[in-house]
Amino acid sequence: MSIAIDTTAPAPGVSPAAPRGSRLRDDRRHALLFLGPSLIGLAVFTLFPTVMALVMSLFDWPVFGERTFRGLDNYARLLGNPVFRQVVLNTCLFVALYIPLNLVVSLGLAVWVSPRIKGRPFFRILFFIPVMTPVVANAVVWRFMYQPGGLLDSLSQSVLGSPAPSFLASSATAMLAIVVMSVWQGFGYNFLVFSTAIDQVPQEQLEAAAIDGANGRQRFWYVTLPMITPSIFFATTLTLITSFQVFAQPFLLTKGGPGNNTATLVLFVYNEGWRFLHMGLAAAAGWVLFVIIMGITAVQFLGQKRWVHYD
Amino acid sequence: MRPLARWKGVASLVAVGLLVAACGGPTATTQPSASPGSSPQATPEATDVSADLTFQFWIGGEADQAAWETVTAVAEADHPGLNITVQGTPWPDYWSKIGNQLSNTGAPCIVGMQSLRLAAYGDQLVPLEELMAKYEVNAADFDTSILDSMKHGGKQVALPYDFGPLILYYNRDLFKAANVAEPKPGWTLADFTAAATALTTGSQVGFSTASIDQEYLSWVLDLSGAEVLDGDGKLAVTAPAFVDGYKKYVELMRSGIASDVTVAGYDGYVIMLGEWQAGTAAMYVDGPWMAISNKAVPFDMGMVPMPVGPGGSKHYTAGSGFGISKQCPTPEAAFAAIVSMTGEEALTGLASVGRAYPARPAVADAWYTAADIEGAKETLDFAIENSVPWLTPPNWVEMADLFDRTGLQALTGELTPEQVLDIVQEQGAAGG
Repeated sequence: MSIAIDTTAPAPGVSPAAPRGSRLRDDRRHALLFLGPSLIGLAVFTLFPTVMALVMSLFDWPVFGERTFRGLDNYARLLGNPVFRQVVLNTCLFVALYIPLNLVVSLGLAVWVSPRIKGRPFFRILFFIPVMTPVVANAVVWRFMYQPGGLLDSLSQSVLGSPAPSFLASSATAMLAIVVMSVWQGFGYNFLVFSTAIDQVPQEQLEAAAIDGANGRQRFWYVTLPMITPSIFFATTLTLITSFQVFAQPFLLTKGGPGNNTATLVLFVYNEGWRFLHMGLAAAAGWVLFVIIMGITAVQFLGQKRWVHYD
Repeated sequence: MRPLARWKGVASLVAVGLLVAACGGPTATTQPSASPGSSPQATPEATDVSADLTFQFWIGGEADQAAWETVTAVAEADHPGLNITVQGTPWPDYWSKIGNQLSNTGAPCIVGMQSLRLAAYGDQLVPLEELMAKYEVNAADFDTSILDSMKHGGKQVALPYDFGPLILYYNRDLFKAANVAEPKPGWTLADFTAAATALTTGSQVGFSTASIDQEYLSWVLDLSGAEVLDGDGKLAVTAPAFVDGYKKYVELMRSGIASDVTVAGYDGYVIMLGEWQAGTAAMYVDGPWMAISNKAVPFDMGMVPMPVGPGGSKHYTAGSGFGISKQCPTPEAAFAAIVSMTGEEALTGLASVGRAYPARPAVADAWYTAADIEGAKETLDFAIENSVPWLTPPNWVEMADLFDRTGLQALTGELTPEQVLDIVQEQGAAGG
């Protein structure tokens, strides 16, 4: 029994310190117990591998053979490697194409579906289906659509009379093809976020604006949009993080594309680590990606004061 | 409090256990676990060898699994104490998986190994010379080129079970329909080009290729005699002969006789194979290991050596075999199993279902009888006589991947062949 009971009379206006303190201790213990599994999981499956990857990135760590300490040599090699530079550029290109397209499509569709039209729940489900279906299955189906003899080629031949270009084999179109497939795959999630946010814009504000003479476009731009900026911030940040990590689409559609034109950072890490068995280099590339994503996310958070309106 | 304290104690024990397990996990051992020949009681015909062995191989389905279990059954019959489990992985994933297993724990005792990829994994396999001497395995019973291809650092690390030169498969029905004479061993490049042109009509093409190493390297060897490595064993794809051969290959494939190549690597191989098997392409290059699946096509098929190039009709040979991983606690038992699995009985069994052109020349006739493909014997005998072991640098997995993907750009015309070879040489010579 370790509940300490203070038998002295407490000062007026102050609740008994001892029972409150022990209740606090109990609470802390309960809290730790409930948080324990998550914290252990975080430590074992996230923190430990992250630190391990940092350690590995300082070594020449082949899967078989001797491990030699190299300090920052792996990073120097990466920066001097033209393939790695191209891979970083490809990833940035993918992000630069994907994010605006994803946001425009998801926000546009959310606005389009926002009035209480008939069949609204049906549309919401329809737009969310690509998100739910496994990306591997989607990528394989889209590959069949893109390749010569596939759906797009047949349509082009029957409607336009000439065969479609080989989208995935041509440097000019391979990245765009991957972006289009990714937008189709991913817009549903942001659509749902924006749709919910738009629903939560208070009707009174919109009515007041209408009374003041604002038309539809002005109501959207001056009332709705500022009020959903927290959701836009959330969606942009998350989508940025996940789009930098794109792997399945280039892996399944082009395996890095004609030459290295659609090779992305995570695909590079996968190839270096698991196919060519250079773990140290792969870990270093992974940390470069980590730093890039952290930097961009930090910029996002710093910038939010400017354009995000929390009410 | 006490029950809570007890739960906390349990929780922290679990936490410590997890952390210890996590810390203990990823450290890979690189020391060999047991040296071969360490058990003094084993005698060459030991039927008292006894162990539970795992055998990992690339397996594409139930038929494959059944075929390999027949082979391991031979080993189990020879040595009743052995119990061999066959583990299969589909081909595209096999090398990542085996690399992963060989670098951690859990590697199988008997490892399926291919001559082309031996260089990357050779250090993890047990050298077999002592065991071969002990078990009186005669190297001369095997085809020399494939046995040599299974050496790493001068040491024999695997015993081959099959091998084959890369030759041409063709569609006899299409040849007849186009009134083109059937090719015979010794046919020339001009014969090939004429035939391919005559066979390219409508939606049909004379030839199908893929941007994968076995395709373009076979042609470079045939067209110019050039190989990937120079005399010192270094990557030399910008050597004049190699550039010449690769240019000729790309020009040949883009001259209208071949279908468009759209994806590199193994996916491209699957498309090429599909085109030939569907009858859309009249010819393609592959090895005798595909003979049986190719025989299942609805048309009459034939095999012929590569057309004679400027240096003759040259062919690469590749093959597969079995090695013993250094992690195996019972290497001698594993070796006894491998001896049975590459012995005459097992190879005759595989050959008689046409599954593997045997690495033991003595058993080859069983394959010919089983395959029952007209012209196969002349073709393969000719090709093997004119064959060259396929040697690759140690980082070939990486180099082939780069070459496949960049080569695609030569085949689509985005880059010139010289540019492709410059890229491959620059990154390949720089090392992994």
